[in-house]
Amino acid sequence: MKRTILIVDDSESVREMLTYSLEDAGYEILAGTDGEDALKYFAHDRKIHLVITDLHMPRLDGIGFIKKVRILDNYRYIPILFLTTESQGSKKEEAKKAGATGWLVKPFVADKLLTIIKKVLR
Amino acid sequence: MENLQEIFKAEANDLIEDLEKSLFSLEQNPEDKSLIERVFRVMHTFKGNCNMFGFETMGDFTHSLETIYDLIREGKLQLSEEILNITLLSVDHIRCVLDDGELANEENRKNHEKLVTGIDKIINENIGQIKSVAKDSPPVQQANEERLSTYYILFRPKDYILKDGTNPMYLLDELAALGKSKVSVHLHDIPRLDAIDAETCYIFWDIYLTTKAPITTIEDVFIFVVNDCQLEVHKIADENLLENKDFVEKIDKELSYKENIDVEELQKFVNSLYQNNQEAEVKKDELKTTSTSVNTGKKETSVSSIRVSSEKLDDLMNLVSELVTTQASLSLFAEQSNIPELMAIAENMEKISRRLRDNTFSICLIPIENMLTRFQRLVRDLSQELGKKIELKTEGTDTELDKSIIESLADPILHILRNSIDHGIEDVETRKKQGKNEKGTILFKAYYSGTNVIIEIKDDGKGIDPEKIRSKAISKGLIDENAQLSEKEMLDLLFLPGFSTAQQVTEVSGRGVGMDVVMRKISEIRGDVSLESKKNEGTSTIIKLPLTLSIIDGLLVKIKETFFVIPLASVGKVYEVNREKVTDTFNNLVVLDGRQVPFLNLHEEFTLKDDIPDLLQMVVVNYDENEVGLTVDEIIGEYQAVLKPLGKLYKDIDIISGATILGDGTIALVLDTNKIIKNFSEKTYKMEEIK
Amino acid sequence: MTAELSTTVNSFLSFKLGEELFAANVGKVLEILELSKITKVPQSPNYMRGVINLRGNVLPVVDTRIKFGMPEIADTINSCIIVLDIDIDQESVKVGLLVDMVQEVLHIDAENVQPPPSIGNKFKSEFIKGMGKVDDEFVMILDIDHVLTTDEISIIQSSVNEPVQEEKKKTTTRRKKTATASKASK
Repeated sequence: MKRTILIVDDSESVREMLTYSLEDAGYEILAGTDGEDALKYFAHDRKIHLVITDLHMPRLDGIGFIKKVRILDNYRYIPILFLTTESQGSKKEEAKKAGATGWLVKPFVADKLLTIIKKVLR
Repeated sequence: MENLQEIFKAEANDLIEDLEKSLFSLEQNPEDKSLIERVFRVMHTFKGNCNMFGFETMGDFTHSLETIYDLIREGKLQLSEEILNITLLSVDHIRCVLDDGELANEENRKNHEKLVTGIDKIINENIGQIKSVAKDSPPVQQANEERLSTYYILFRPKDYILKDGTNPMYLLDELAALGKSKVSVHLHDIPRLDAIDAETCYIFWDIYLTTKAPITTIEDVFIFVVNDCQLEVHKIADENLLENKDFVEKIDKELSYKENIDVEELQKFVNSLYQNNQEAEVKKDELKTTSTSVNTGKKETSVSSIRVSSEKLDDLMNLVSELVTTQASLSLFAEQSNIPELMAIAENMEKISRRLRDNTFSICLIPIENMLTRFQRLVRDLSQELGKKIELKTEGTDTELDKSIIESLADPILHILRNSIDHGIEDVETRKKQGKNEKGTILFKAYYSGTNVIIEIKDDGKGIDPEKIRSKAISKGLIDENAQLSEKEMLDLLFLPGFSTAQQVTEVSGRGVGMDVVMRKISEIRGDVSLESKKNEGTSTIIKLPLTLSIIDGLLVKIKETFFVIPLASVGKVYEVNREKVTDTFNNLVVLDGRQVPFLNLHEEFTLKDDIPDLLQMVVVNYDENEVGLTVDEIIGEYQAVLKPLGKLYKDIDIISGATILGDGTIALVLDTNKIIKNFSEKTYKMEEIK
Repeated sequence: MTAELSTTVNSFLSFKLGEELFAANVGKVLEILELSKITKVPQSPNYMRGVINLRGNVLPVVDTRIKFGMPEIADTINSCIIVLDIDIDQESVKVGLLVDMVQEVLHIDAENVQPPPSIGNKFKSEFIKGMGKVDDEFVMILDIDHVLTTDEISIIQSSVNEPVQEEKKKTTTRRKKTATASKASK
């Protein structure tokens, strides 16, 4: 059964890159352009196995988004990874507090990305 | 994969544009923190994307720029003209380099080095300021990065950790990969063989790791098990303790047997290894980064938008056009059928398709403001180059134009601006002498007028000297020495090919690329351009563009056997008139509602003079600020016309903007009333001259 | 697109204007239409008959007789419109040619095509690709792109055709924009 990964990032390049790598590896991909946009996927108890989100987005940013997802019953425990660059140390604490499971460092190598995802989805 | 590259480039271009726009706004409002944030963020996103797609050179380059703006946003550096200049130059450079990521081009490479040097200089000049900052500085992690540090890590997984498939050995491997390590395993919790549950974890580890990686990377390794274990990561030294014999000995002899290592004691021991208290404290606050990068509190309210390929838009437009045409046939059929239900449905269809049409059009319309960045750059760069002070003011930039027209406008407008900057606005000295403001102003104004969009470019420079034009025209044999020309006609001469009154053909405005090219380009999009000027006061270039979108609301009329469509937006009232009143008149004036209204007998104009009916319909249309009547035989009704071009063979017929196909397949010709009236008035003017 | 005559498909569609026989390369012919209602565009040159609706698109129709300087005649039952795909400024454009009668498709070998005579020819040689010999008759093979893109309203060798010249004057004055009355505004 295909697992579904939701990608949230306001950069089209990042979305496309992730979609490309992950679809290739056999995952089904949903994409949102920012936190607010991504929330629509949670509207109907859709089965989402993993969320990968950027932190810095307009309207609803990553932290806010993660918080909102964690409130929802069905999604309280799904793994949520956030994307970060080296210099965003402070955000990591905040994101973790908001309920993130872990992080991925940008720029990422496809192999590492897939390994981590496999780990998380086990 | 190439597709991804294209997406990256498309997004990169958007980001660069955004950046440039923000830089301009920033120039006007250097104190605006939100703008600096924005500039910083765009650079940050761009940098991230560059690194992700293999454009490391650009990523690094942007990183340096980003550093400058980071400093500015922390208040450690002041935004200056120099910084803005170099940033704008960098933006240009990035544009070039997008297609030359390896800097294979010699010029790009030179430029790159020059810019890098410039940027570094700015940063270094201000490093002094960085040092003098107090406790609220973000930890300069870079400093530590290169150094080896030693960490003590306690990894004590919970007993159920194996049950979800986690293999602690993988984690240890990962840790080991970060540097040099020494691991002590604690096995004393393992029960006797017969009591062992294969799925329970009984062991835990102490790990001493020496690595250059920051603590976050170490924690990284354990992200997914962080809730399923006891994890402690402590930095105990800023150097490689594993090379310290005493330390290693202590581990081997003592620590590996200790069940619960007291970190404080461990630290004390480590400290004691040194004579000087040099090592960094176990900084719990290294985990918390106190950064001054304040969220300005303003949530970005950006209008959500997506990028759509022009092809898709064109397809959409075509489909909508076809829908409108088919719906016209349907309406016709329904009307003739006399079936009320069918007629009602057809009417509904018409309403909906009209709304769909309007919506689709507005999608294809882009506000003029999108073009502005180019113009602002030109004004800025060129005025600097010529040593003049010029400000570009804009009005009505939210006026929208069809996307296909906007592209064609850019070059002509740039040229007009160049003229204003080069020949129009005087230098500071001259302006002062004339009592003018030192800073010249160029006003770029756009607004709607009837079925047109008007763009005015007005400068307060020295204006055009009609005498100079006159003499130049005479010398070029364009007019006769004794010819009497009105001011307007004089200015119109400038639109003739090869005309240039500049004393020296400056590099800027080019040779012979004069107003004639501007006029040609604008005619190609069915527009009109004219000049107005007052000596010493300034010059105004006025561009008039038709809003002829491909589907227009029109009035369907008939003249003899031919159907015509008059754009409804220009139509005022319709009157019935007698034939005598409008044929072979002395002056073309008719009295309507007590007013004298000039009119055009389209039968005469279109050489359809015979068999003019006794009773004619006079359609009064708007022309600039006036009213002009046009005679037709019959008025059929309102009609949504899908404009089809007449084609290249008819490209010189400007009075007809296109054709449309009626419900029954007949062709109706769409009239460009402005052109008709303009041509007519020019003709009569000439005729009067001859008289 | 201007291939040498010898390498093009040597099939030509022939048609008549009065007694003269012309031919155009079959490769350029899209279809042949019966004469239908043609909407005249006001203020257009005389040789532009008008436009017709070709399956939802606007097709301009050229009155070939007038273009070739022949006297106008009434349309007959044989008159029809040949739809051609021609090259204007490197763009592919559809044009309709109104002719008196369409004949047949002729297959002419390259060796039977002679270059147009430079003197004594009624029509300007730049519009004629060659003279094709079929049986004992000669067919004028037209350079259709050239014929339909030229501004000149007649391709007659000598411009001694009075009514035609009048036409020329009238249309050009209409086209002026400013002081210059030349049609050099291309």
